[in-house]
Amino acid sequence: MKTDSFKHIRRVILSRVLLVPFIIVMLVFGTLLYYFASNLRDQVASQLVRIADGHRNLIEQFLQERAYDLKFAAASHSFKGIGYENKLALILEQLQTGSPAFFDLGVFDERADHIAYVGPYNLKGKNYADSEWFKAVQKKNIYISDVFSGYRKIPHFIIAVKKEEGDRVWYLRATIDTLFFNDLVENIRVGKTGEAYLLNRDGMFQTRRRSGGNLMETDPDYGTYRARGKETISFVAESNLGGMYLYAAGRLRGTGWLLVVRQEIGDAYAPLARAVVLAVAIVIMGGAVVVMMAFVLATGVAGKLTAADIEKRQMGAQLLMAGRLAEVGEMSAGLAHEINNPLQIMKSEQFMINDILNEIEKDGRQPDPENLRLVRDSVNQIGTQIDRCRQVTQGLLKFARKSETSIKSVRLEPLILEVVEMVERRARVEDIRIVKKFDTLLPPIFTDPAQLQQVFLNLLNNAIYALKGKNNGEIQIAADRENDEIAVSVSDNGCGIREEHLEKIFLPFFTTKPVGTGTGLGLSTCYGIIERLGGTIAVASEVNVGTVFTVRMPLDGPGAKGKSESKYSDKEGEGQ
Amino acid sequence: MNTVHLLLVDDEERFLSTTKTLLEKQGIDTTTVTNGFDALKIMDERAVDVVILDVKMPGMDGVETLSRIKQKHPLVEVIMLTGHASIESAVEGLKLGAFDYLVKPCDIPDLLAKIKEAYDKKRVMDEKIREAKIKAIISHPLAAFEKDKPEEK
Repeated sequence: MKTDSFKHIRRVILSRVLLVPFIIVMLVFGTLLYYFASNLRDQVASQLVRIADGHRNLIEQFLQERAYDLKFAAASHSFKGIGYENKLALILEQLQTGSPAFFDLGVFDERADHIAYVGPYNLKGKNYADSEWFKAVQKKNIYISDVFSGYRKIPHFIIAVKKEEGDRVWYLRATIDTLFFNDLVENIRVGKTGEAYLLNRDGMFQTRRRSGGNLMETDPDYGTYRARGKETISFVAESNLGGMYLYAAGRLRGTGWLLVVRQEIGDAYAPLARAVVLAVAIVIMGGAVVVMMAFVLATGVAGKLTAADIEKRQMGAQLLMAGRLAEVGEMSAGLAHEINNPLQIMKSEQFMINDILNEIEKDGRQPDPENLRLVRDSVNQIGTQIDRCRQVTQGLLKFARKSETSIKSVRLEPLILEVVEMVERRARVEDIRIVKKFDTLLPPIFTDPAQLQQVFLNLLNNAIYALKGKNNGEIQIAADRENDEIAVSVSDNGCGIREEHLEKIFLPFFTTKPVGTGTGLGLSTCYGIIERLGGTIAVASEVNVGTVFTVRMPLDGPGAKGKSESKYSDKEGEGQ
Repeated sequence: MNTVHLLLVDDEERFLSTTKTLLEKQGIDTTTVTNGFDALKIMDERAVDVVILDVKMPGMDGVETLSRIKQKHPLVEVIMLTGHASIESAVEGLKLGAFDYLVKPCDIPDLLAKIKEAYDKKRVMDEKIREAKIKAIISHPLAAFEKDKPEEK
């Protein structure tokens, strides 16, 4: 039972002390983490956009520069001069000095015949009238093609410029080194899994993709890219080949190619994940420490509370004992008087008998009948006084036997009369009348007679005390049936109890008697006993008018007033 | 020797009657009463040398009776009868001027001895007062008219 209450107290403390702060801390932590995470996510995305933007500019610039290189070459030479292949080779060399990206160079007339060519392939004399780039360059003057296979059957792209020389029109075309260009884009690296690649308007790879996707293949994810405007934007999308990616994509001016920079989501958000893991770890560890501390604290507090509770119960039991001892002490004073008086009489009688016997011996004659009568009278008187003493000792024994608690069926009337008998003589000495008013048909009740007697003895003693030095002192003890209870009231017309004392009257050690005469335990003991026997005790008083103590006892004994109460009294019994 | 005039005050009737018989046999003139009021009344009516007074009595208790006796009759010697538990009241009685006390139950010879002691003391005191009065009358005959004043107080 004790450990149960200990665990209960500890549980209450833990839940109150721990749960509420825990919820608050988790709310704060969750909010902070949410804002921190979204902030970091934005930062990661904008950083990727910045990288993509930077490279888009770079690639745009590169292509534009190569186009201008070519345009300059065309502008600075005439059709006649450039038609010679050694002259063309010289131009290619000059271009390659500017940028090693130039792979080969060719000159075409207005009919798209390949008039001159320098480069590793044998393409001279071929006609390109049907090829896409030729059609485009006729209209646009400068044209950068998508990657295509062409005659050489190898993916490449070209830059072509148109030159009008008088009424003659001719074209200069350069192939860009696929590997060189590829490296330019492919070498963009972000984190571990970050990669960059170019797609044309149809979603065809213009550069290789490291994680898979060769030139001129179609990107299966092209449909998921949301980049439609000119701005570089970032978004998260799931790849058709599996895996979530963070993307940044923007279109190149001129070619309309799409530069895509992407990073696996786990890689992109790695710092965020690390921060979250760290924060959660701290919270868990801190929480563990807090829980441990709270547990230790709660255990300590609960232990102390339980100890205090046990101490209180023991104290209650001790109070009961002390109350009984005080009762015995108070009684012994009266007891001495009760016994001393008969003894004094016996002493006198004994001396009287002795005296008469001496006379008889001295005379040596037949004793005087008057003397004989006196002796008999004295002997009878001694017998009477012995009976008186026996009554007193029997009363004392009855009181002493009260230590064992036993509930049995008891008739209240004889029980109360016995108590009244104990105090009656003392009352007479103080000039107090005791009036008994009993309901004629009181049913027996289940209770502990000895303890109940102690209560009534105490109440009667108090009443006698209240009537000390008062004329016409009267104590009325009455018993009546009230439903399933018996109410016993002890009333006196004594000094009464002041209102401010009335509420403290059942407290242990509360007394208004002079120092050394009262222990303040009497009524608190009564209260404890009545409570344990399932009854109630109440007081009403008016100063200089009198006091009434009313004890109500259930007919069915301590168990009848509901289980909780009987349980409580069981506990009390254990404590003793 | 003069007869001792004794007043016995106790609430036990039988104790009073037996003790009275015993004391009378010893030549002590004994009057008995059962309470303090009666005791004071008797003392106003007749001369009493020694009072035996029970401490515990209904109505006026022994200590109070003693203080009233001593107020009215300071030369009367009082012997207190007390129980073991009321030794404090015996002490209080001695402070108030009681001659001695006896603890109940006491032997009758002890009681007789105490009565005699008390009576002797009273006699000595009476004698001294008488001598002082004579001396006063001899030296200042006129003072004889004021002789009773201090005694009455």
